[in-house]
Amino acid sequence: MPHFLTNKRLIILLGSIILLVAMIGFSMRDRENITWPEKFIKDVTGFGQNIVSKPAGAVESFFDDVSRLRHTYEENEKLRTHLEELAQLESDVARLEKDNAELRKVLEKEDSLADYEPVQATVIARNPDRWYELITIDQGESNGIEPDMAVMTASGLVGKVQSTSKFTSTVQLLSAHDSNNRVSALVQGDKTVYGLIEGYDEEKQMLQLTKIPSDAKVKKGQAVTTSGLGGVFPKGLVIGKVSELVPDEFGLTQTALVKPAASFYDLEHVMVSKRKMTKVLPEEEDRQQVVVEEEGM
Amino acid sequence: MKKALLPLLMTALFYSDSVFMIFFSEQAFDGAYMPVPRFFIIGLLFMSVFFDRNTAIKYGFFFGFLFDMFYTGLLGAYFFFLPLIVYITSMLTKWLHGTLPVFLVIVLFDIALLELVMYGLNVLVQRTTFSFEQFTYMRLLATFVLNALFYILFAIPLRGAFLKLKKVFD
Repeated sequence: MPHFLTNKRLIILLGSIILLVAMIGFSMRDRENITWPEKFIKDVTGFGQNIVSKPAGAVESFFDDVSRLRHTYEENEKLRTHLEELAQLESDVARLEKDNAELRKVLEKEDSLADYEPVQATVIARNPDRWYELITIDQGESNGIEPDMAVMTASGLVGKVQSTSKFTSTVQLLSAHDSNNRVSALVQGDKTVYGLIEGYDEEKQMLQLTKIPSDAKVKKGQAVTTSGLGGVFPKGLVIGKVSELVPDEFGLTQTALVKPAASFYDLEHVMVSKRKMTKVLPEEEDRQQVVVEEEGM
Repeated sequence: MKKALLPLLMTALFYSDSVFMIFFSEQAFDGAYMPVPRFFIIGLLFMSVFFDRNTAIKYGFFFGFLFDMFYTGLLGAYFFFLPLIVYITSMLTKWLHGTLPVFLVIVLFDIALLELVMYGLNVLVQRTTFSFEQFTYMRLLATFVLNALFYILFAIPLRGAFLKLKKVFD
């Protein structure tokens, strides 16, 4: 091949390989949020995506509705039985909530890890190359969304915000393979057991709850929720139910396979939870005071 | 005015991938197969053969860049490999002077190449746990079928569109 690699082409090729490696290295860095040119491009592309996918989404949900129409009767029966329980449950919740608020006042502990404000968002795109479990939603910084916020559907936690721009944000699903993707979780039972949601079993389609102490007794069917101890997610978001328990390779801890409550597929509407209590450290002013006091000692 | 139709067509193809993902239920086939829509790339290859290679390379750079930023977040991957694939295709079509069925083989070869490169890249940056077998059975074959279908449906309209656009630009 005499003309295939002339000098000029070779230089261009080598130059672009260097550029490629540099760019990949730049984007793989552990960074808090994307840079402003990326944000700008995301907003522009997201604007077009909005125009394209909103009507497409509407058409899709229309077909969904039509197919759901066939099961209306069965669903109605089922819902009616639930409705009777619901009235009782509702009054219980109201009573307990009031109790909780009063007791909190007594304890002078008004903030709770469980408090959050939900922000409604619509999924406008799912990564078409399907290597990373990423979705794009139509709410961004202008609505107060920040990286690392929890994203959920009505049935449970689905992922966390990875990066934000002004009007869109990218959400990484729990099923994504990323070693930084860990969620502090707890198993509800007589005795609360803590663990970490880490990794996803593609074949069984289950989440892995690792680092459970080896002597902890976890039973099949127990509910798994977020613990709020990771510092970003609110407490008490439903993750799923324990379906299997396996000892890990060294026998020091156990791993539970958790059947996710929310489906990671066919997401349409999601909620982003803004946790109210996010500060781990005391407020800036309080902190200074602490330092002053220490100096005085 | 008619010149604006070219970027419009490419933009429509760019978004068509993600629109397909909205309609396609990911739980089809119980999640056993993962067909990946590569409609934009098919359009780009048609552009390189029936319109103009160098313009196609420029579009490859631009939309590859957008793809990286907006969808994957791994900068540089599509930005670099889309133009490269356009270049490889232009080399191949020089040797295999082609009718549409021959071009289908070239397109599928290109898609396989791109998928392989992306797989390699993702193994390298440890973003996937797929084994090579899983990759070929779950992704590659399904991707072939989906994109071949798209090709069969849209090959003639796409060729017509680019030939017409070429006349407009000339």
